[in-house]
Amino acid sequence: MPDPLLTVDDLAVAYDSAVQALRGVSLRVDSGSVVAVLGSNGAGKTTLLRAISRSLHSVNGAVTGGSIHFEGRNLAQRDASQMVRAGIVQVPEGRRIFRDLTVEENLRVGGCTVRDKRARKEAYDRVFDLFPALAERRDARGGLLSGGQQQMLAMGRALMASPKLLLLDEPSLGLAPQMVEQIGDIIEQIHAQGTSVLLIEQNAAMGLRVADHAYVLEVGAITASGPSAELAATDEIRDRYLGVGSTSPQRTAAVKEPIDVPVHLQRPSRKAQQLRVEDLTVRFGGLTALSNVSFTVEAGTIHALIGPNGAGKSTCINVLGGAYRATSGTVHYGDSKVTALPSHRIAGLGVARSFQNISLSLEATVEDNLLVGRHRLMHAGTVMQALRLPRARKEERAERETVHRIAALLDIERLLGHEVHALSYGDRKRVEMGRALAAEPTLLLLDEPVAGMAHGESMAMADAIRAVQQELRLSILLVEHDMPFVMGLAERITVLDFGKRIAEGSPQDVQQDPEVLRAYLGTAAA
Amino acid sequence: MSDLIRRGPMVLGLLVALALPLLLDDFWLQTGLFAMASVVGAIGLTLLVGVAGQLSLGHAFFAALGAYTYAWTVGDPAGQEAGLGLPPLVALVLAGVVSAVVGGLFSPISGRLRGIYLGLATIGLVFLARHLMVNLEALTGGFNGRTVEPFSVPGFSFSNAAPDYLAVAGVQFEGLHRLWYLFLGIAVLSAWLGRNLRAGRTGRALANVRDSEVAAAAMGVNVARAKATAFVISSAYAGIAGALMALAYGRIAPDLFGIQLSIDFLVMIVLGGLGSIAGATAGAVFVVALPLVLAQYSSQLPFLAAPGSGGLDAATLARLLYGAAIIAVLLFLRGGLAGAASRIRHRRSAHQRGTGGPPLVPTPSPDPSGATEPPPSQPAVSTRSEEKS
Amino acid sequence: MTYFLTQLANGLSYGLILGLIAVGFVIVFTSTGVLNFAHGSVLLSGAYLVASLQGPIGFWAAAAVGVVGAAVLGVLINALLVRNLAEANPGTAAILMLGVDIVLLTELTRRIGNNVLSIGAPWGADVVSVGGITLPTSRVVAAGLAIVVFGLLWFLFARTGAGIAMRAAAADSDTAAMMGVRPSRTGAAGWALAGALAAVAGIFLASFPAPGVAPTLALSSFAAIPAWVLGGFDSVVGAIVSGLIIGVVTALAVGYEAELHFLGRGLGEVVPYAVMILVLLVRPSGLFGRKEAVRV
Repeated sequence: MPDPLLTVDDLAVAYDSAVQALRGVSLRVDSGSVVAVLGSNGAGKTTLLRAISRSLHSVNGAVTGGSIHFEGRNLAQRDASQMVRAGIVQVPEGRRIFRDLTVEENLRVGGCTVRDKRARKEAYDRVFDLFPALAERRDARGGLLSGGQQQMLAMGRALMASPKLLLLDEPSLGLAPQMVEQIGDIIEQIHAQGTSVLLIEQNAAMGLRVADHAYVLEVGAITASGPSAELAATDEIRDRYLGVGSTSPQRTAAVKEPIDVPVHLQRPSRKAQQLRVEDLTVRFGGLTALSNVSFTVEAGTIHALIGPNGAGKSTCINVLGGAYRATSGTVHYGDSKVTALPSHRIAGLGVARSFQNISLSLEATVEDNLLVGRHRLMHAGTVMQALRLPRARKEERAERETVHRIAALLDIERLLGHEVHALSYGDRKRVEMGRALAAEPTLLLLDEPVAGMAHGESMAMADAIRAVQQELRLSILLVEHDMPFVMGLAERITVLDFGKRIAEGSPQDVQQDPEVLRAYLGTAAA
Repeated sequence: MSDLIRRGPMVLGLLVALALPLLLDDFWLQTGLFAMASVVGAIGLTLLVGVAGQLSLGHAFFAALGAYTYAWTVGDPAGQEAGLGLPPLVALVLAGVVSAVVGGLFSPISGRLRGIYLGLATIGLVFLARHLMVNLEALTGGFNGRTVEPFSVPGFSFSNAAPDYLAVAGVQFEGLHRLWYLFLGIAVLSAWLGRNLRAGRTGRALANVRDSEVAAAAMGVNVARAKATAFVISSAYAGIAGALMALAYGRIAPDLFGIQLSIDFLVMIVLGGLGSIAGATAGAVFVVALPLVLAQYSSQLPFLAAPGSGGLDAATLARLLYGAAIIAVLLFLRGGLAGAASRIRHRRSAHQRGTGGPPLVPTPSPDPSGATEPPPSQPAVSTRSEEKS
Repeated sequence: MTYFLTQLANGLSYGLILGLIAVGFVIVFTSTGVLNFAHGSVLLSGAYLVASLQGPIGFWAAAAVGVVGAAVLGVLINALLVRNLAEANPGTAAILMLGVDIVLLTELTRRIGNNVLSIGAPWGADVVSVGGITLPTSRVVAAGLAIVVFGLLWFLFARTGAGIAMRAAAADSDTAAMMGVRPSRTGAAGWALAGALAAVAGIFLASFPAPGVAPTLALSSFAAIPAWVLGGFDSVVGAIVSGLIIGVVTALAVGYEAELHFLGRGLGEVVPYAVMILVLLVRPSGLFGRKEAVRV
């Protein structure tokens, strides 16, 4: 058995000293090997890499248990820059190149720990050798490179320090298939030159192709591991990504049985309307996040938007909610043109949303957070509240009762008096959902409502969502990676890949669509 | 029971404040007036900075506006400077209204800039105020300032020279005593209004804007209007505070309303704990009383030198303590005095993580709407431009 | 015309000095996220060191000590206070700096008292006349030196590894740390640079036509704040250009005060802020603030 280069034992990580992101994770990377960690959004993959590169603190995370050893030394007391000097360099998710620095300057920052001039020169040569495209554009600003070139620059920048272990965080994110192939080749070359690689991937085909050994990470824990070839041979990966296995609850079954969730909410005075997305295009700088996407969410239905990371799902939700501007194309909700309105006016149409990364007020109580959802339905003016006029007090009392009913529905009533920072991750997700529901929407936009939740929890959430939807007859558009959840809940699914719509239909249709299989599992799987 | 524990210190404080004039001499009464005037201003600022997360160094501008509006409204029309000769109560209300309106005129900036960027922009207001105070001599008396008519309601004067005699329990109620109760009433009213605002719909919306503008907008909050509203509210408070300062000083001049006053207001709310009304009150009393008390008793502190001798005089010591207090609170006392008090109160509660006030100004929170799905070549673009606009 | 050109030259040289201060604000802000309200008292500390040492050790040695001293003071403030904040965010850091400013300024005021200390510079009260335009020699030296300093800054940030690392850390400190850049080092370097630049500016602001070092010198950093804000908060070039704009506008307002009497006396003090507020009304991100696609 070769020497372990890196061993992770029983690692636990928490954010804001409350949200548990990893528990009991153990893995090892042998000297001279490529190891992949596969998993969907919210599984804790990036957290794992940040724990190893000691860069958790900048995202408010901390290791709460277990240990990490590199070349036999415990890493507990080191900081990020010491890790680089020890030989571990991370290529962060989303490339994070320095956009205002030139290609050469970016590389120079990567090599800032190399004191020896000759060694630095050799590192430059090696990087330009691996990435000839970078050599041609060495004086261009990083921000002007294409997505693939930026990924190369991010990798080249990390290689400047001549690491023993390279940590790669989703190198295939948002890249076209050919580019993904090319990045895969480069990883193999880097490996051949003697650098060990720990690779985080959502693209299972890519991960399994380049790795010797792979782990599957789900909701903060390792659920499968083994040699890549063995893992690739099982159906397990496919099941996890597309939810076609036995774990998927059938929607029809759920409709037949009465749902045991009490709903005592007022039905909104207005009725749900049709949401029409037509030729929606969104560009950021030179980059197209969405191109000519069209779909329709019929009134009173649950519609899901799925696709691999970087497909443009969240961008789409953000345009519908008014957080981003559309470059071209229109979105209509009933007769109102959503794309012409600012966020708060869209909310006024009866459109409410939840956020992917929970955005509650941490120091406020759960009750106050839910009451913020009632903001647009309340009328008391500033002066009226300041003077506690009877009408303002009456309204406040009535709204608190409403909020209690919503809390009961989501089973968070006992938490109403608690401040959000003391809540667990799952509870925060429920509060986030509750706040959106409190706005009495006729259209609810849910951005990853169960990301990071365990299977049981997400099923309970699905029941709650279904109950609310049937009782209030509202429309729901949801973005989610948890496929059993999506397949069990949605009536219709739109699939995005690279900002384009590649499929649409019922859950059954979508699960069998070869385009969708290719997008999720890579070309090899199709 | 727990309600009593929570309200206890407040009720006790109020009782003490009511009883104090019976015991104190004029120096202490005067100090109390300055302190209560500052309490009003500090409460207004904590609503803006602590609750809405908007920094302002322009509080002195609005205090000056209130002070001169008051002096002008009650001023003798035949006097040296212009005046309307209106009743003082009208003037007091007008001081708040004028400041609020001018605060509203600033909303193209206060509604769009965020956090410390607004703080920098508002510095300009203080210098603008000084320029106006010095140059609009007809209204302000220029560099030397103008006197302020004492407060009175028909048949009941608040001036020390007043002839009508009033005594309760053998204590003679002179002008300072009466002003004390007037100020106390206004301060309590300010605190009550501030609490109501913070706990209601507006306060919740402001706190949400502070924590995440994107989320607040998605809940139907008009973010620019919310920020402008917070600014208007705090301006009104500053205006009233300025009018009270004018009354307490009896004479106002540009030097009273410099950048230092803005800084003092900020320091009050930081020492007390941002967003806390009680904290703002405690902070204001500390900041105002410290230099006056040290100066008063400097002769009894052996290590203090006489002013101007180059040694450590009372005023210098007060400034040093003042600066050191700010540094110490920020380094060691998370959430200021209010934070510390709430930690002590909640020590038994297992759930409390022990935080005090809310995070100040724009904590660069991870963006809520999709950090994990950046457009590939647009990774986490500097959030700085976002914070600015 | 000559009068106008004189005012213009005056404004440009004053603007370059403001630029030195404003660049200090920018560097501290981008390297540690701190709005440095103590910048003025650091500047005064440097000038005070120079004024009190120039007698015993001569002006040039004193100037060197002053510049280094101000740099060290900046580094200490960062290392001892800013990095130990209980709750690190831009707002609390700004207020911390107000506290630091009060302590430093109080102590310096106590030491200086009511005196005005001579800076003892060799150019004294000399003036230079070229083509009818007369300028104090100190201002000519200041302008020349500022241009040299800006050139050195360009070299630092564009050509040296340390400077490029500082730019990387300013753009994305998290990623820069992953590449091995030590945030403690880039922060210290930023504070040192800002302190040194402030001391240089302080020496010239205390030179003729100003009478010398007095506590009010600390206020001059406030005059550079409009330049910083107009420059867009995080742009060194923006700060320099805005410094020139503010310098010229101020000089012209002072020079033509008689013609502008309807705007009141003491116009020079208020004009920079009036310009700042007017520009912010139109462009909330300043003249040089980048209008990026705002991502949320």
